[in-house]
Amino acid sequence: MKKILLLVLALIPVLTFAQGFQVNLEGQKQIGMGHTGTGLVQDGASVFFNPGAVVLLPENYIQAGISPLLFKSDFNPSGTNAQYQSLNKVATPFNFYAVWGPKSSWWKLGLGVYTPFGGLTDWGKSWQGKYVLESLDLKAIYFQPTLSIKINKVLSIGGGFVYNRGSVDLTQAIPLGNSSGQDGQAELKGTGKGYGWNAGLFIKPSSKISIGLTHRSKVSTTINNGDAIFTVPASVQGGFPQPNTFTATIPLPATNSLGIGLYPTDKWTVALDVNLINWNVYKVLAFDYKTNTSSLQDTYSQRNYKNAVTLRAGAQYKANTKTALRFGGGYASTAVQDGYVTPEAPDANRVYVTAGLGYKLAKGLDVDVSFEYEHLMSRTQTNIQSQLSGTFKTNVYIPGISLAYHW
Amino acid sequence: MKTLKHFIYIIVGLVGLVACKPEINTPKPSHGTANFSRFIAVGNSLTAGYADGGLYLQGQLNSYPAIMAKQMLSVGGGTFTQPLFSTAQANGSGYLQLTGFSSTGSPITAPVTSNLAIRGILPVPGFGNVTLYSKYSGDINNYGVPGIKLLNITYAPYGNLNGFYERLLPGDSPTNTTPYLAFITAKPFTFFSNWLGNNDALAYATSGGAGDVLTDPATFAALNTLLINTLTQGGAKGVVATIPDVTSIPYFNTVTEGAILAGVQKANPSVTGLYINALVSGTNYAPRVATPADLIVLTFPTSKIGQPVSTPYGTLPYGLTPYTPIDNQYVLDANEVTLTENAVTAFNSSITSTANAKGLAVFDAYTFLKNIKSNGLVTNGISLNSNYISGGLFSLDGVHLTPRGYAIVANEFIKAINSKYGSNIPLADVAAYGGIKFP
Repeated sequence: MKKILLLVLALIPVLTFAQGFQVNLEGQKQIGMGHTGTGLVQDGASVFFNPGAVVLLPENYIQAGISPLLFKSDFNPSGTNAQYQSLNKVATPFNFYAVWGPKSSWWKLGLGVYTPFGGLTDWGKSWQGKYVLESLDLKAIYFQPTLSIKINKVLSIGGGFVYNRGSVDLTQAIPLGNSSGQDGQAELKGTGKGYGWNAGLFIKPSSKISIGLTHRSKVSTTINNGDAIFTVPASVQGGFPQPNTFTATIPLPATNSLGIGLYPTDKWTVALDVNLINWNVYKVLAFDYKTNTSSLQDTYSQRNYKNAVTLRAGAQYKANTKTALRFGGGYASTAVQDGYVTPEAPDANRVYVTAGLGYKLAKGLDVDVSFEYEHLMSRTQTNIQSQLSGTFKTNVYIPGISLAYHW
Repeated sequence: MKTLKHFIYIIVGLVGLVACKPEINTPKPSHGTANFSRFIAVGNSLTAGYADGGLYLQGQLNSYPAIMAKQMLSVGGGTFTQPLFSTAQANGSGYLQLTGFSSTGSPITAPVTSNLAIRGILPVPGFGNVTLYSKYSGDINNYGVPGIKLLNITYAPYGNLNGFYERLLPGDSPTNTTPYLAFITAKPFTFFSNWLGNNDALAYATSGGAGDVLTDPATFAALNTLLINTLTQGGAKGVVATIPDVTSIPYFNTVTEGAILAGVQKANPSVTGLYINALVSGTNYAPRVATPADLIVLTFPTSKIGQPVSTPYGTLPYGLTPYTPIDNQYVLDANEVTLTENAVTAFNSSITSTANAKGLAVFDAYTFLKNIKSNGLVTNGISLNSNYISGGLFSLDGVHLTPRGYAIVANEFIKAINSKYGSNIPLADVAAYGGIKFP
């Protein structure tokens, strides 16, 4: 009879999605003005900001923009003076819009392709939280065909269907060292899809004010049969059968927005937006592995997010017929409650400022550039699940440029 | 167009800002009221960095005093020198290596026998064979000596009986006459850690109560007071640790009565119990059926169970009849467990009261490890517990720790020091230290 020993290895590869993953970079003109736009009619980006406003665009639009994003996070583990900084990686949120309709008609069609959620964080393979996360590359691309209808002189409405194609690639160290002491590695990689909708109401009671109200629905995104790749020492590989797959569903939350546009003079536009993001749908994150073993169990982890609010303000000054200057800023409250902060996107209340410039290159051709700086308040936390304890501080730098052609 | 150019310059300039990384202001390093310029570590195998059933270079490099000393550097800590084995003799005394798992999931280990630092085997009359190791002659900050008991610290000939101590002394066994206490206090120091006393209970327990005796608590108390008085007489401050409950280590919790019985019953369902030779009282032992309260040692060769043994009553299966009980050396039976626990409790009360009287920091290893035994420990995303191999804390011998386990212990010592002396020695990164190495 052999020695009876049960080898159970505790392992928790868990993917977390945080509020930090909402990417608010849906149009260069709007970014320049603090990412406001629910209550304005600026350009094709209204497909995202307020489908109800699309019909009021005086022309047809085709436009594309990109906002290379650099997420710089610093972690100081509790009780130490060590600092770990995330590596320089540039994420590329983009936006593309097309709007078409007969001139001065009561309807217009639109298409938007944009990235409202995503994240790119790489802490490297030797930092203190490597067993929680090494790197994450998350993308959600929304495709949104839209119809916008003018009801009367004051009121217009619009709505669109949303198809989301999401992808995720997460790596994490596994505390199973090989004979040279090197950690095991887990990689979860897959693509998924989800569906939702976007609707908006636009009211323009006078030439001095416009009001917008929108709802972007929850998009429950399911990753089916993603690859679950585990590289561990040969003697314990049996506990991590290969190939293996996983299934997980992530609810990308709904956003409700109210926006106001004010036009005090010909040259000035002022915009105010309030967003309420229904993060409270995100209660748990479940991971279902196709093949389970005693070492590799399905996971079910609490997230308990709370709803978050964003307050935005911005202004545009038309310096001359060709040039517009923009600036803005805002404040976003975190959805992540104490004890649930993770290194994927170490979330905290954040403030941001933006600046932008629009320039008319030629008849019907606009270029817009924007810059956004976001600062996440430093937050000292012990994660309930991983017990990773320390202070996170994050800055985000986002330049951006777009081209719009209209006729 | 000019404005646009300007604007692009501004943006390029802003992008340049990314060079400005976010930084978190950390508290200024402070040694508080302690002075770490010469830190010495006093103790046994745990202090020496013993792991996987042996003392070897890799283990020494990851000893908890070495980890502490590294962390002390930022608060005025000095050079910390350990009596390391040479690279050529890196495997020191030899140790166990995990070579794989059997089909039933049992670990298979094999001893490492190359590049040892063994100098010879010396038979000492009236004692037995002493393994001698290559001498170490440099400076020493880590005085951890595997196998030493608190009982041994004033015993002059001890340097002839323990090869790990002998290797630190200038003379060859059997000519040594320097007691451990005199040896460690020969050179001045400003700070010390002391974790002696484990073997005063553990040696008895690991031999199933058969191969050694528990140190008398009164003797322990007297020696502990002497030790602490001597260590503090030059004004040094320090930290001491209590002795873990022996039942909290995998050495006694892996090969269990229930597991062995279940294995036997698979082959022979009629078997209802294992027999052990258990302590009745004093030195009286009698066979009885084992219960889960009887702890079987990790090294028990379970293949012995059921083997034919010839007895006056005929040939009977080992471990399954009152005439063929499992040998005493493999079992710390319930009564022996109680004796051990009582001794540990008594030892810890002397350790704590002496430390408190002298104003020393105390790391309560007893409570800490007992808590891990019941609740496990999650840190930095690593889930650890007291199980053999899978737990990640204990090395292959089931008694000593992995480098990760030693890092956790080092951090507990540091926390105790910081809270006592108002220092802020930074904690070590537990994730940077490895666990068991799997093939």
